[in-house]
Amino acid sequence: MKPGRRYVGPGWPGVVLALSGALVVAGLPAHASPQRDTPSGASSPPSKPPPGLRLRLDTRGLDTAQVDASQRLLDDALTRLPPQFMTRLGRAVPVRWSDALPHESYGRAERTDLLLNRRLLPALADGSAATLRSDRPHRSQRRELLATVLHELTHFLDRDRRLSDDPRLLDLAGWQVKVHRRSRLTDNQFVDRSPDPYELTDPEEFLAVNMEYFLLDPAYACRRPALHRWFSAYFDWSPPQDQCAAGYPFLDTSDDPDAKVVGILDPGRVYQVDYLLAEGNDRLMSRWGHGMLRLVVCAPGRPRGPDCRLDLQHHLVLSFRAFVDDVQLSSWRGLTGSYPSRLFVLPLSQVVEEYTKDQLRGLRSVPLRLERDEVAGLLERAAKLHWSYDGRYYFLTNNCAVETFKLLHDGVPRLAGARLDSITPTGLMRQLREQGIADTSVLDDRREALRLGYRFDSLRERFQAMYDVARGELALPPTTVEGWLDASPDARGPWLGKAGLRTSAALLLLEQAAYRREVLLAREDLKRRYLDRDARAPRFADADEQLQQVLEQSGFLSRPAELLDGQAGYGLPQDEELRWLAAEGARRRAGLQRLGEQLTAEVRELLDPAMRARLDGAQANVTLLGDRLRTLHEAGDGLRLP
Amino acid sequence: MKHPRQPAIRLLTATLLLGLSMTASASTFYTISDSLSGSVKAISDGTSGTSGSFSSDKIVLAARDDAASYVASAGAIRGVHLEAAFMHIRELLPAARQASDDELAQAILAI
Repeated sequence: MKPGRRYVGPGWPGVVLALSGALVVAGLPAHASPQRDTPSGASSPPSKPPPGLRLRLDTRGLDTAQVDASQRLLDDALTRLPPQFMTRLGRAVPVRWSDALPHESYGRAERTDLLLNRRLLPALADGSAATLRSDRPHRSQRRELLATVLHELTHFLDRDRRLSDDPRLLDLAGWQVKVHRRSRLTDNQFVDRSPDPYELTDPEEFLAVNMEYFLLDPAYACRRPALHRWFSAYFDWSPPQDQCAAGYPFLDTSDDPDAKVVGILDPGRVYQVDYLLAEGNDRLMSRWGHGMLRLVVCAPGRPRGPDCRLDLQHHLVLSFRAFVDDVQLSSWRGLTGSYPSRLFVLPLSQVVEEYTKDQLRGLRSVPLRLERDEVAGLLERAAKLHWSYDGRYYFLTNNCAVETFKLLHDGVPRLAGARLDSITPTGLMRQLREQGIADTSVLDDRREALRLGYRFDSLRERFQAMYDVARGELALPPTTVEGWLDASPDARGPWLGKAGLRTSAALLLLEQAAYRREVLLAREDLKRRYLDRDARAPRFADADEQLQQVLEQSGFLSRPAELLDGQAGYGLPQDEELRWLAAEGARRRAGLQRLGEQLTAEVRELLDPAMRARLDGAQANVTLLGDRLRTLHEAGDGLRLP
Repeated sequence: MKHPRQPAIRLLTATLLLGLSMTASASTFYTISDSLSGSVKAISDGTSGTSGSFSSDKIVLAARDDAASYVASAGAIRGVHLEAAFMHIRELLPAARQASDDELAQAILAI
């Protein structure tokens, strides 16, 4: 075991935590620290010495002021420790100011002694350390020293009790299990919004660093709620803490301009969590489907219940995706871990549309049997991933199925024991069913499943039915729906004005599909021409510049923490950060929209004229059918919605 | 009172170029195309919107494809977006509670 060592990382931005006395008092819950009167044992021995921890200051070579200041520091540290800490580390720990520590180090836990860097003693003795700003999150140099004493004492306790081996702590900290268990990842990839990157060194340091914040920061409970609960449970005690806001913030990346930049995930409004599986297709990277989680969020004001399943516009999808910062997806990079793997929070409507209408892939959405507190734990974990996780995507070993498994494993402790380690999304669905976690009976009745949103059919499934209806009424020449869609919009146009209501509805669906297909074809064509550098016209170069800017400026959409770079705070963003996020997020979004408009101007000129004509033609056909449906409806004196 | 949806083409072209990055599986792989326009979204579906009415109601608009399938298939294809719109309209509009599902689906389609 390596000695606990606490370095000051150079260049770490100064962070001011709201640790004013007023806040501590204001946030003080019913249980005030019972430690205030515990004797320290080092000086002024109490009448009945407890069996617990004592700190023995080595006073050799110190003057009176130095001894007094040191003693006050140690007393201060002891008053902040949980009672069980004192009894479990039930011995005397010698404390010594040392000249032998590296310049940047505050302290170290040696085999038996706690060392503090003597360089810092003069300022502590003359009182200036209280105001001397440290370049670290604990604000002042004296507070850093206090944190250091707590940190090193934690190392002593950990050596006796091996807290840092606790699997649950490792889950929460981010040394995640591997897909075929028995071992854990050696790297901690929860790198964003860390209070002190030193915590990522190893589990021992993670424990010691987090103990500092658990004991000293009243906001720790709100910023790292799961870890706060873990410490509180271990010590059966918790320090004064702030009142936390309900729900967890997330960056809303939906393309709805009315949407707020920061949304709040409120577990109280989540009726169910579904495993959402997109069916695979014949392409290599999507052959085994895509696994996601769907949050069945109730509309504001609606009590949790089955009706919430129809509040589709409030439902969200948690989807792990590889972030491809290029115009071309490379299978090789997908296999070798070159892409970041990140958790996106998306509106369900966007996900359903993308799969069923653009990619023509169906979706299955199966509720998971979870208790209320398990839903809350899962959302909390998702929020942590959203703000802190920067993993690597590996096509075979760390794909969406593996990431979703890890989210369930780490977010719902009960599921950590279940066998859910498939590396494919369809395999995960099977395991969830076999373990009794997913209720797939909702899929048994196919029509009911479609009506209630347990199944979203791909539009492709509807095409033939629609075309049969249309062909039944009008003697359309093509024998297959593909033939109809392949015909030019101008050839289809003359038929569209002849149809009755039912057939017009069928033709509308087909015409929209034709339009989407034209868009995809034009897109492929543009992409081919864009990537073919030899043929790139000067006009492409203009668009290229805009595209590069979009690439550069849209990274925050996949890594929300980027918006808070340089801001104070760690973990889940709190009040002040949320205000910053709202302003900064809106600014970035507006910037991207501006770029998008410029890009639009550039790309209009690049479209192949024939393709453009087909697009315009399909668009005109859609408009024509819309008008026709209205006319027929009015003529039939149908119900009119105000 | 009625105005056609103008942004359709603008959105389309933005999507087109951003779509340059769309490849094998846009859904497992978040590409830049997702950042501005999640997909080929909001293409004109032949609706005409007026503000403050069901014709600009997101829940109703999201049900138009399902309504078309329902009407065309004489009720055989009944998707969840339509079900959601039925519930929504009947919650807000007492007159609609008397209407049949067929009548409501046609009304949504004619918006």
